[in-house]
Amino acid sequence: MHTLKLLSSFLKVNIQMALAYRADTVVNILLNLMWLGWELLSLNIIFSNTTTLGGWGLGELISLLGVFRLVNTLMIALIWPNTEKFNQSIRDGSMDYTILQPVNSMFLVTFSRITVWRIWDLVLAIILIVVGINMAGDVTTPFNILTFMLLAITGTIIIYSLWIVLIALTFWFTKFDNNVTILQALMDSGRYPATVYPAWLRIIVTFIIPIAVATTIPLQALRGELVIGKILMYVAISFISFFVASKVWKLGLKRYSGASS
Amino acid sequence: MFLIIKRLWQVNWAEQWQYRANLLMYLLYWLVSPIIYLAVWTSIANQKGSVNGFTANDFITYYMLLLICDQVTSNIVIHTFGYKIQDGSLSGELIRPIHPMLTNGLVNNIAFKMLTIMGLTPIWIILYFLFKPDFSSVSITGILLAIPVMLLAFVIGYLLSATVTSLAFWTTRVYSIHEFYFALILLFSGQFVPLTLMPKVIQDIAQYLPFQLLLYYPIQLIRGKLSAEQIMQGYVMAFIWLGISALLFNWVWRNGVKRYSAVGA
Repeated sequence: MHTLKLLSSFLKVNIQMALAYRADTVVNILLNLMWLGWELLSLNIIFSNTTTLGGWGLGELISLLGVFRLVNTLMIALIWPNTEKFNQSIRDGSMDYTILQPVNSMFLVTFSRITVWRIWDLVLAIILIVVGINMAGDVTTPFNILTFMLLAITGTIIIYSLWIVLIALTFWFTKFDNNVTILQALMDSGRYPATVYPAWLRIIVTFIIPIAVATTIPLQALRGELVIGKILMYVAISFISFFVASKVWKLGLKRYSGASS
Repeated sequence: MFLIIKRLWQVNWAEQWQYRANLLMYLLYWLVSPIIYLAVWTSIANQKGSVNGFTANDFITYYMLLLICDQVTSNIVIHTFGYKIQDGSLSGELIRPIHPMLTNGLVNNIAFKMLTIMGLTPIWIILYFLFKPDFSSVSITGILLAIPVMLLAFVIGYLLSATVTSLAFWTTRVYSIHEFYFALILLFSGQFVPLTLMPKVIQDIAQYLPFQLLLYYPIQLIRGKLSAEQIMQGYVMAFIWLGISALLFNWVWRNGVKRYSAVGA
C-alpha cells in the first residue's frame, strides 16, 4: 500500500514535469506514430516477399511488435531516465539523500523518474498484441494467452533484474556511464523471432542479454510451442534473477561511500 | 590554413581517443540492426531460394558492404553541434576566423570516423568468418568507381545534416526534426533492405533523392550490379545534390547565425 502511494506520487511529479514541455510531448507522440508507421511498413515489405518468417506469420509478428514495444517502453520510460539520474547521483554524491530515505533504495532509484507520455505507448502495444492475436487466430487457446501474459511478466522481471545488476556495477566502477547501452544495443533484436538468427546471436540474446526472453519466448507460449516444464523454468529463472539482483544491489550499496563528503 | 587543420585534427583526435570506450559502445549499438536485417532476409531467401532475384549470399554481401559504406558516408554532426547552438557554447567558435561547421566540425567527424573504422575492422573480419560471404561479383573497377561517390555522399550527407542541425538557430531544440530526417534516410537509403525490394513508389522517389548515394548506390556499385547507364546517372545525381546541399547549407547557416541569440551567455 505504501509502495502504491509512493508510486502514484512519483507519477504526479512526473506528469507535472511533462506538462512543462507540452509542445515537446505532442511532437514526441507524432514521432512515435511515425515510427509505428515505419515498423508496419517494414513488416509489410517482409511479408510481400514471403508468407512466413522462421515459421511465423504476419499476425504473430504484429503481436511480437506489440511485445517488443512493451519492453522498449520499459526501456525508454523507466530505464533511461532513472539510469541517467542514478549515474549523476553517484558522481555528485546526491545518492546520500536517496539512501537516507526510509524506503527501499532499489525501488526509489528505479521508479522515481517516469517519462509519462510513454504510457500511451503501452496502450498502442496492447492494441498491436490483440490485433496480432486475432490475425493469427486459429491456434490460440485461453491457456496459451494466460501463459503468454505470465511469460511477458517474467521476461520483464528478468530484464529489470539485469538492469539492476548493470547499474549496481557503478558502485564498483564509478565511471561506468555506459551501464545500460549494452541493453539498448541489443534491443532491436526483439523485433523479430530469435529463431531466425544465427546460433551465436541467438545465444547472446537469450542467455547473455536476454531480450528474447521477454519478446520471442512469450510469443512462443502464445503459439503453444512451450511445454509446462519450460514455462515453469522461466518463472523460476525470473525469481532467481530478481533475488540475485537485489543481493548485488545490497552489496553495491555497502561499497558506496559518497562522492563529496 | 593547413596548420589550422593540423591543430584541429590533433585536438579532435585526442578528444575522440579519450572517449574510446564510449565509441566502442556506439559501434556495438550501431552494428546490431544491419546484422538483424541480414539474418531476417537470409532466412527468407534460404526458405524460398531467392527474393526478387536476391539470393542468401546477395543479402550477406549487401549487408557486409553496408557496414563499411555506412561508416564512411554517415556523420554525427547533430550530436557534436546540436547542443552547442542550444546552450550557447557556439559563441566561442563563432568569433574565430574559421567556419565552425566546415572546419572544426568536419575534422571532428573525420577523427570519429577514423576511430570507428579502426574498431570496425576486427569486428568485420570476425563477421566475415561467421557469415562467409562470397564476394566473387566484386571487381576492382567497381570499388574504384565507388570510392569517389562515397566521398561525395559523405560531403552531401554532412552538408544536409549540418543544415538540419542549423535549424536549431530558429527552434533551439532540433532533435525531433533530426529524428524525422533520420526516418527519411532509413526509408530511402537502402538501409533496411536493398531498394529494389521496396514498394515501387519509394524506389521511384529514391532515385531523385540523395539518400540512396549513402548506401544503396555504392553497395550495388561495389557488388557489380549497376549498368553503365545507372552508374552515370548516380554520378550526375551526386553532383547535382552536392550543389543543392551546399547552397542550402550556406543559406540556412547565414540566416541562422544572424538570428543566433547566444542562449546562456
